[in-house]
Amino acid sequence: MGKSAVALVLLWLTAVAPAGADCSVHRGMHVVLYSTTDDPSVLLWDSRARLRDYNAASFDEAQAMLPHAILVAPDTRAMVVSCVPNYVESPIFHQADAVGVVITSGPQRGLTRWVLGSDVRAEPAAQP
Amino acid sequence: MKNAPVTHVTGTLLMTALLVLSLAFAVQGAFETQAQIAGTFAREAQIQQAQILLEEMLRLQIDEENSLRGYSLTRDPFYVGQYRQAAAGFDGKEAAIRAVLSKQQMAGPRRLLHQYSDLQNQWRSGVAGPLLAYPTQRLVELDKRNKVFSDYETRTVAAIRAALADTDSELVQSTALQLNRTSYLRAIWVLIFGILAILFNVYGSRLNRELEQERTVTQILQKAFRSESMPLPHCEVGSAYLSATSHLAVGGDVFDVYRLSSNRALVLIADISGKGVDAAVLTAFIKFMVRAIAVRHDDPAKMLSEFNVAFSKAVGDPYLFVSMFVGLLDTATFRLDYGSAGHDCTFLRRRGQVRQLAVTGPVLGVMEEPFSSETIELEPDDMLVLSTDGLTEVRNRKGKPLLASGAAELIAAGSEHAQRLADELVDAVRARGGVRVRDDLAILTVRVLDKEHDGG
Repeated sequence: MGKSAVALVLLWLTAVAPAGADCSVHRGMHVVLYSTTDDPSVLLWDSRARLRDYNAASFDEAQAMLPHAILVAPDTRAMVVSCVPNYVESPIFHQADAVGVVITSGPQRGLTRWVLGSDVRAEPAAQP
Repeated sequence: MKNAPVTHVTGTLLMTALLVLSLAFAVQGAFETQAQIAGTFAREAQIQQAQILLEEMLRLQIDEENSLRGYSLTRDPFYVGQYRQAAAGFDGKEAAIRAVLSKQQMAGPRRLLHQYSDLQNQWRSGVAGPLLAYPTQRLVELDKRNKVFSDYETRTVAAIRAALADTDSELVQSTALQLNRTSYLRAIWVLIFGILAILFNVYGSRLNRELEQERTVTQILQKAFRSESMPLPHCEVGSAYLSATSHLAVGGDVFDVYRLSSNRALVLIADISGKGVDAAVLTAFIKFMVRAIAVRHDDPAKMLSEFNVAFSKAVGDPYLFVSMFVGLLDTATFRLDYGSAGHDCTFLRRRGQVRQLAVTGPVLGVMEEPFSSETIELEPDDMLVLSTDGLTEVRNRKGKPLLASGAAELIAAGSEHAQRLADELVDAVRARGGVRVRDDLAILTVRVLDKEHDGG
């Protein structure tokens, strides 16, 4: 009984932790998806582990992972549902957040996916 | 004492050599630093060129992708042309960067550049090719592959940028290190140079002080040895002296005009065998000795005899001899009593005619033989010219000596003034003998004036 209670507390803490203060976004925040200026379309992944793997993978490995990704056009709207700070190691960004989002515009509306923190911008209207 | 000049010269040469050596090292260090800085600038310029070319490559890569996107959306062949132009530009820039990186031996950035170029080629065949072939088919998978290419190319470009920046930073650091090292070395050499310069200066000052002291002593001695001519009443006296030892104003010839009483004067000219300082020392002895003898005697022959004995005993050198003309001039009557001990360079000019005065005995210091005297009654405007053999033996460029006859011609044609005539004779010797005078030359001229003239 005691062990189960501790496990529940840990589970709750794990669930709460991604929305912690270290993330650049918070749960419920409305965002716009936009990648680098070289190619602003955004890849979204079905798990945060794949998101992390993609950014650490070689080119051939990344090609093999593509069935697990969707590509959305820049300016696609979404809402943050989760965030793990500094979860992704990237050769360019060194460390980036993994952000869980629900897509709220475009053909993939309603899908929940994981996206790189640097590809997420606060929606202009949502800014204070 | 004899070794002092040698020591001075050696010391000066040594100090100069050390000074020049340290200066050379300091200058060489400066040139080395300049070369290092120039080398660093050149490498930095190459790295910057590679960085600029890389950014241009990236822009052309995006141009390629955008042109393809434009064709995909509009099917306008214009975009195909744009695509091909951008692709050609991309390859051209890639070749240019590769050349720079190879020249600078930057293996890391070169490998990444190859990777970048390889990715772009893969993109052309895997993404651009199918889209150009089937522009109406818009495949989601192709778009995703395009995105992956884009991400990886961005990463590769970022890695090349970082590698170039690292190379630049390493270059600057290594140059700074080398510059520090050479700066320390140069500073040490400049320090050594400075210390040597100070030592050189101190040494030079000491040397100059010693030379100044020596010069002072020499001047004092020269004053003692110098020939003198006092002004005589009713006479005009001229004199000139030319030393064969160029840096000294003394030699082995001596003349003297010395007033023994109000109307009696000693007129002397002598030539000692030898020249230079050793002969000059004897001239002082001769001058004062003859003056002392002249006070006691009226007869030049007796004076020469007494001097001959005293000279032989005092000098004691059988190879040293003196030719001498001694005259006792009565300035009231113009009577000149003289004796000539082997001294044949004496002349009398009277009314434009010049005659050589007779020798009355052998040279002094060789043997004890009797001397005789001669008497001349001088007349106004008579010019007595007493000289040493530097006048008669001066040779022209062909080696021909002037001789007594030549000297007589010069005297005959010379100035009526005593000093001017003496100067003219010296000039003539210089002109005939060239720049270097081989023998000492002393000239004493006495012009007889009217009794009304006071002379001087």
